[in-house]
Amino acid sequence: MEIADFSQPVRQSSKGIIIIFGFKTFRFFKKFFVLFIAFGLSLTKKKSFLNLTPTTILLIIIGVLVIILVIAILKYLNFKFHLSKDDFHLATGILNKDNTIIPKSKIQNVYIKQNFLQQLINVVSLNIETAGDNKSEIEISALDKVTALQLKEELFNKSHTDNGKVDAIEEKNVFFQVSPKRLILEGISQNHLKSFAIIASFTFGLYYEFKEYLKEFRLRERIESVVDLNNESLFNIIVINLIVVVFGLLFSLLFSVIKTLVANFNLEVIENQKTIEINKGLFNKVSLSLTPSRIQNLVVKTNRIKQYFGLHTLSVKQAMVNVKQRKNFTIVALDKQQVDYLASKLLEGYAGAVNRCKPHSYYKRILGLHMFIPAIIFNVLAFFIFGKDMWWINLIVIPLSVLYVYFGYKKAYYKIDDAFVTIGSGVIDTTINILETHKIQAIKLKQTIFQKRRGITSVIISTASKAVTIPYIKEKEAKSIYDFLLFKVESSQKDWM
Amino acid sequence: MKFTNSQLFNDELPKIGDVILKPISKQFIKVIALNKLLLYSIIFLVLFLAKWFIPNDGIQQNFWYLFTILLVFSILNFGSALLAFSKRKYAIRTLDIIYAKGLLVNSITTVPISRIQHVEVSRSWLARRFHLATLNIYTAGESGSDLSIKGLPNEVAREINDFISAKVNGNS
Repeated sequence: MEIADFSQPVRQSSKGIIIIFGFKTFRFFKKFFVLFIAFGLSLTKKKSFLNLTPTTILLIIIGVLVIILVIAILKYLNFKFHLSKDDFHLATGILNKDNTIIPKSKIQNVYIKQNFLQQLINVVSLNIETAGDNKSEIEISALDKVTALQLKEELFNKSHTDNGKVDAIEEKNVFFQVSPKRLILEGISQNHLKSFAIIASFTFGLYYEFKEYLKEFRLRERIESVVDLNNESLFNIIVINLIVVVFGLLFSLLFSVIKTLVANFNLEVIENQKTIEINKGLFNKVSLSLTPSRIQNLVVKTNRIKQYFGLHTLSVKQAMVNVKQRKNFTIVALDKQQVDYLASKLLEGYAGAVNRCKPHSYYKRILGLHMFIPAIIFNVLAFFIFGKDMWWINLIVIPLSVLYVYFGYKKAYYKIDDAFVTIGSGVIDTTINILETHKIQAIKLKQTIFQKRRGITSVIISTASKAVTIPYIKEKEAKSIYDFLLFKVESSQKDWM
Repeated sequence: MKFTNSQLFNDELPKIGDVILKPISKQFIKVIALNKLLLYSIIFLVLFLAKWFIPNDGIQQNFWYLFTILLVFSILNFGSALLAFSKRKYAIRTLDIIYAKGLLVNSITTVPISRIQHVEVSRSWLARRFHLATLNIYTAGESGSDLSIKGLPNEVAREINDFISAKVNGNS
């Protein structure tokens, strides 16, 4: 294996020009997407657009592409990085020169990604993230895989010695590899309402963008001519609505399954001595390693259907900036033992065998209130739209509310021991939040004026990645938890990262 | 009770209930009042301008309803803001900072000093007239865990700022 030297400023692989060019072009076309559509449409009609002939427009596009190419080359030439003993240095910028220095000890994450274009020309991108604000993320978009792995190794190596090479050879144990069957099951048991919402918003978004053009196609008239809107054909309307709903549901299901498959294709969890590595993705391959000391929260999620199939999702929350990357830090389709094993690996000494405490029954009231307001709105709407006859919707709404309160309260619990706080919650989902006491950033007691009379309060525990709530417990208990956790944080010598 | 560790530490642990919280500067109530009054006057100004310059039937007919609703809302809002003032309290312990606030929703937040990333003192124009300052305390990550103590006397804010800065820098 050729050992790359990072001590001198180096550029990324020259293929980086293609990557930068590709990204820029893609972004450019995405930005002016609507304009292009408009242009295409008007071309079909008038043979010109804003008094420009097709040839001029073609020339303009070629000109723009050339400019982008020049920018890409300049960017590539001005992008240099190197490693010193404790820091990572990066120099960028064509006109405005930026010099970024990141101390190795402050690096939160290093992950390797490979999108479709990068897969084609066989390079990977390496992202370095710190816990700071948005600007602190660095992406080196074209490195060959060996170099990237080596750089990653050295970034995690605190002192610049050659021990990294030894570590790299340490036994790699593939702990978990997802089977396609489990992935499909995972996709089927997703929350389809979410997919439906995504599809719906996407469709509406498109519709609004192209409202003008759609008008020209007289879509509305056509639909109305198909759907014969006679008074007698009420039955027809119901049937059509039903078909639309069924199609919507099927479509959402398909969407969920495909989304899960694409995002988690070949999901692989590799167990190293200290860290855990996740590899996954079809078009966007991601490889990331989890270091226990960087993890702020662990969230285990499942629901009724998933429980039946034995599917659990483990999300790892770190102090991260990039919201888009956050969802990559999840491992889907794990069974119970695997979740327990990973949890005990990532949180050293996590047993979870402490007795669980329940929130005060006041919580039921709050849950009831959560349902009461939508129920009222539902009723009022139904009354105004359909008249008095719609009272029967309460036959659905009331049992739903009762179920909501029942499950919401049943699934809520908390456990606190010396090193960990575990909080269970969820209504449809079953969610378990785990955090280490020494990673707490702040603690808050919160009570409304009504709860004060009953001596009930909530405890909100913030870590660097997430705030979790122990809802509605006795004030005395809440205060002793508060004191205890503060004592734990302030007396421990461990840092939060 | 059910909380297993409480027995062991209960007596020895410093209790949040025992901390004597200090009220913020009395002067700050003036800042709150002036800010609120400014806000209300802008709202009412807009309302009256709408009445005089927009000859829309909807506005003209419902003007007094709107006016009453806004007036009631403003009075309630003002009253609760003044009442909530006495709930704004803070305390500095050796290892942490405590801030309590809120009348309808009361909260008490503690940030351990070892978790503070940085502190800053900021002063608005109005606060400067009354020699007041705001102490902002930032922790890592989630903005939910940041603290902002408003209406401290300027010298006190500086003092706390220096105290925390020294501690934070000493730790790292």
